[in-house]
Amino acid sequence: MPQLNPNPWFMIMTFAWLLFLIVIPPKVLAHTTPNNALPQKVVCSRTESWVWPWY
Amino acid sequence: MMLNLFDQFMSPTLLGIPLMLLALSLPWVLYPKPLKRWLNNRTLTIQSWFINNFIKQIFLPMNTEGHKWAMLLTSLLIFLITLNLLGLLPYTFTPTTQLSLNMAFATPIWLTTVILGMRKQPTHSLGHLLPEGTPTLLIPILVVIETISLFIRPLALGVRLTANLTAGHLLIQLIASGAYFLFPLMPAVALLTSTLLFLLTLLEVAVAMIQAYVFVLLLSLYLQENI
Repeated sequence: MPQLNPNPWFMIMTFAWLLFLIVIPPKVLAHTTPNNALPQKVVCSRTESWVWPWY
Repeated sequence: MMLNLFDQFMSPTLLGIPLMLLALSLPWVLYPKPLKRWLNNRTLTIQSWFINNFIKQIFLPMNTEGHKWAMLLTSLLIFLITLNLLGLLPYTFTPTTQLSLNMAFATPIWLTTVILGMRKQPTHSLGHLLPEGTPTLLIPILVVIETISLFIRPLALGVRLTANLTAGHLLIQLIASGAYFLFPLMPAVALLTSTLLFLLTLLEVAVAMIQAYVFVLLLSLYLQENI
């Protein structure tokens, strides 16, 4: 079975761990999720009507 | 003829350059790094959703101390599931069929969980070697059996993933060559074989995802025992 060939074992291990430690975590950590909005805290402020002229 | 079937698992080299490096590093092009914007594109949204659901699923039964492992286990899942799924495409090489890769991930992480358990709470960790309520006479034998099962865990983890993926790829190659060679001789049988090949490929997609998940799930269970 070619998987049992010990020749590239160390190279595969080193390279896989290097990629696993250096490349993937920044990509995973950059996924941030915003907090869910709380519906109770919504404040509807009363706005007044337009009283100043257009120009 | 028999040995040719395993040639697909040889570590690929081209003029002496190991192509394993390409097989390991190119899949990460599919995972763009999200920028600091609130609305992302569909790819990033799907990946975020997947990562969040996975973390909720795995870390719900774990105590707060174990939540520090979220980054490691998520990265490991993304690593394994991407390599497994991409390997099902034609003419690709699946690095996770290599025992070296799977053992390289299983052994250090399992050993970390064991050593953490032994350092922080040695009595509790050693207590796992004896199931509750065993009859007094059986205690020595059971401790030996549980110790053996503890040490077999990294081997089982690595070999489980390797064997599942290797067997799947072998079956796909066998049935595909069967369908190919039968086609000029007995087209009806070749059609049945092709249907079988299609169903098998669907199974292999499922197996690829499930095996990656099982690998990470088992590591999280070993962590829960020891943290």
